[in-house]
Amino acid sequence: MARLIALLILLSGVPGVAPASDSAQTEQVRLKLLAEHDAAIPNTTLWLGLRFELIPHWHIYWRNPGDSGEAPRVDWQLPDGWRAGDIQWPTPQRIQVGALVNYGYADWVTLLVPISVPPAQARDEQVKIAADVSWLVCREECIPQDAHLQISLPVAQDGERPSADNDFDTVRARWPAALLGHAAYHHGESGLTLRIEATGWQKEQLASIWFAANDWGPIAPSQPQPWRFDKDVLVLSLPEGDAPLAEGASLDGLLVVTDAASSSMRGFAINAKPIDTVSAPARKPPVTLFLALGLALLGGLLLNLMPCVLPVLSIKVVSLVQHAPDGRSGRHGLAFGAGVLMSLLVLAALLITLRAGGASLGWGFQLQEPWVVIALLYLMLALGLNLSGVYSVGSGLAGVGQNLTEHTGLRGTFFTGVLAVIVASPCTAPFMGTALGFALTRPPLETLMVFAALGIGFSLPMMLLGFWPRWVSLLPAPGPWMERLRNALAFPLYATAAWLLWVLSQQVGPSALAGALAGSLMLAFGLWWLGQPLRRRVLRDALAGALVCASLALLVVTGAKAPARSESSEHESWSPERVSELQRENHPVLVNFTAAWCITCKVNEQVALSTDAVRQALDERRIVYLKGDWTSRNPAISEELRRHGRSGVPLYLLYPPEKGLPEVLPQLLTEGLVLQALSRITRN
Amino acid sequence: MFIKIALTTLLVTLAMTASAAVKIGEPAPDFTGIDTGGNKVTLSDFRGRPVILEWTNNGCPYVRKHYASGNMQKQQRAATDKGAVWLSIISSAPGKQGHVTPAQADALTAERKAVPSAVILDESGDIGRLYGAKTTPHMFIVDTEGKLAYIGGIDSIPSTNPADIGKATQYLPIALAQVMKGEPVAVSVTRPYGCSVKY
Repeated sequence: MARLIALLILLSGVPGVAPASDSAQTEQVRLKLLAEHDAAIPNTTLWLGLRFELIPHWHIYWRNPGDSGEAPRVDWQLPDGWRAGDIQWPTPQRIQVGALVNYGYADWVTLLVPISVPPAQARDEQVKIAADVSWLVCREECIPQDAHLQISLPVAQDGERPSADNDFDTVRARWPAALLGHAAYHHGESGLTLRIEATGWQKEQLASIWFAANDWGPIAPSQPQPWRFDKDVLVLSLPEGDAPLAEGASLDGLLVVTDAASSSMRGFAINAKPIDTVSAPARKPPVTLFLALGLALLGGLLLNLMPCVLPVLSIKVVSLVQHAPDGRSGRHGLAFGAGVLMSLLVLAALLITLRAGGASLGWGFQLQEPWVVIALLYLMLALGLNLSGVYSVGSGLAGVGQNLTEHTGLRGTFFTGVLAVIVASPCTAPFMGTALGFALTRPPLETLMVFAALGIGFSLPMMLLGFWPRWVSLLPAPGPWMERLRNALAFPLYATAAWLLWVLSQQVGPSALAGALAGSLMLAFGLWWLGQPLRRRVLRDALAGALVCASLALLVVTGAKAPARSESSEHESWSPERVSELQRENHPVLVNFTAAWCITCKVNEQVALSTDAVRQALDERRIVYLKGDWTSRNPAISEELRRHGRSGVPLYLLYPPEKGLPEVLPQLLTEGLVLQALSRITRN
Repeated sequence: MFIKIALTTLLVTLAMTASAAVKIGEPAPDFTGIDTGGNKVTLSDFRGRPVILEWTNNGCPYVRKHYASGNMQKQQRAATDKGAVWLSIISSAPGKQGHVTPAQADALTAERKAVPSAVILDESGDIGRLYGAKTTPHMFIVDTEGKLAYIGGIDSIPSTNPADIGKATQYLPIALAQVMKGEPVAVSVTRPYGCSVKY
């Protein structure tokens, strides 16, 4: 076929033979060159069309052909002064070829090209427009084909209105439309995250959505693109391709949406700008491994002082006092350290595995699930009741997990260490935040090393006391005072339980809360029953067991289907688009990432962010205060935290007006510090 | 006992998080293929020499462009003369374009005067999928330490016209020269063009 065309081309130079045609035909394709108007008007744009008609099952390609293939190409031969523009590509289809994906056209497609016609034209001239077109047509196998096409057009006289080919408007309807909303992207866990807002679409209207980049490289065509709605922002996770986008480059491409009702496909042109933030720490870690290890050690030490750890510390003290006369406190110190270290490493391993599986988790992720909060609530209650003397472990249900810390002996101390970590996990001490943020973006080995350093810092006081228990000799000899101490130390545990209940109330609705309370009641009753001296031990154990099981069942039921509560709207909530919008409107922006279970956050809010002086400063300087609530899982916030090198809350960002990168405030705020920062940001 | 549990958890975690993505700078996934003579060819056996992996399909017009013009054979000779290993890999499934028996493959090699170190028949497509080979030709260079140094097209002009070879930037020979000198490859990822691999 190609030879025949070549022959025709050759022969067309010989006079007397038929002139080159405006159409060509191969076995698979019929191609025709069309002009929109039947005359060229000087000083305007003349649209030409290349209309491809294909036999069934064969296709040609879009400007980005996808994993393989080649887009059609045109070489124009135009009169002097005439210029050809770029091909306007209609919305393509997504063609799956095994595991590979191509973008192309089947059946028919017309590629329109704008030709600019210069002003000065000699009258009554017939202009010749020729095109050398080459394309690849494929079914499963591919055939490269080409054609030489030619048309002649008169130049329009003054006042003439050439008639137009209306089919061209039908073709234009298949072009991608302009997007009504605003598109932006940022780098996510394993690719790019495209955020498109104000589309006016509803989730139920859409059968499918996919994005294709205009050029090869940024996005891998054959990987899935999960999408969801985040309030009214459409969020697509795009898998990164072989040649990632340069820093700050725009992501240009096509969003193809299939309507659920009509199954019609529509394309929208996307030019997504990168969201202005600090580059991911994975590229340039601001913290080296050694620094992170040092910070983790220090953070671990300080963690001992955090309010959520204090109750368990009370158990530690009790057990240490119990072992002081033995002279084996050194070994107990080590056992505690081992318990802490092992549980931290297991937690780290769990985090790594989950993140490798794609979840965007940060530190404190455990408390984002209501059932975890309820479980910890039960645990605190059970431990408190034990210290209060309501029941004791000995026979019957001895050996159940939560009672392990009451075992005297090394095993008991080991499990006290484990318990300390479980309860400490939602707290982020100063320095810990940076160290953990660094750790969670590094290879698994470095992550584990940082967590180990944290464990050593955390258990250091206990281990030191174990080896140098001289202070213990200052304590009075064992006696009834020990029982009183035990009872008193139950109260920090009840306080923690109350705090967990408050966290829960932020996460779930009233009925789920009632379920948790009822479960706690049953647990308390069951444990009390366990502590009663009854002759028939079996009966006692059975009833106690039943009550405990009932409370656990309630935990599962309420925790599992806890309805998420709508967030209170006393503060405007954070979104990256809102930040850029506010910056454009010349407002500085203060962003507070917080969570209900984060004590440091709450303290900072009380002490430094909600005071009158700060509120006044915000008003006067037109600074807008946005809150990012991470109480329940929120992938957008997790990503934002990660981008600033953090794995948990709190995080305070202060954005300057107009545009620019934010200033990161320290984790422990004072009013003075905040006021200084606010005046600094508005001074410039 | 607890230590054992902890250690096992650690090891399992580390194993799971070791990713198998084919990326520049990462170790090239090891494989063992069968060549046209029935011999086993293992990538790691060639550690210490650069290895070029060329995915090919004799029915594909893009592959034909490079073989008919002698370009591919020239590059194969230049590479093997300098001590590199050139493996031509055919991942076409039985019944699909490009699939050949060992005898047919040898005949093609002789007819085209090609000089790869070996032609590997990967009809199950395992090696192709391991590397994410998408087109024919799709070129990979593994450096002397077994890491991937180049992934992409053989040159810069994605067409079937042999006249374009002279005008194109020769990505593969340039990258290979840099690998042999021990320099970092300046352009290490380019767009691979061609027909899709017929898995």
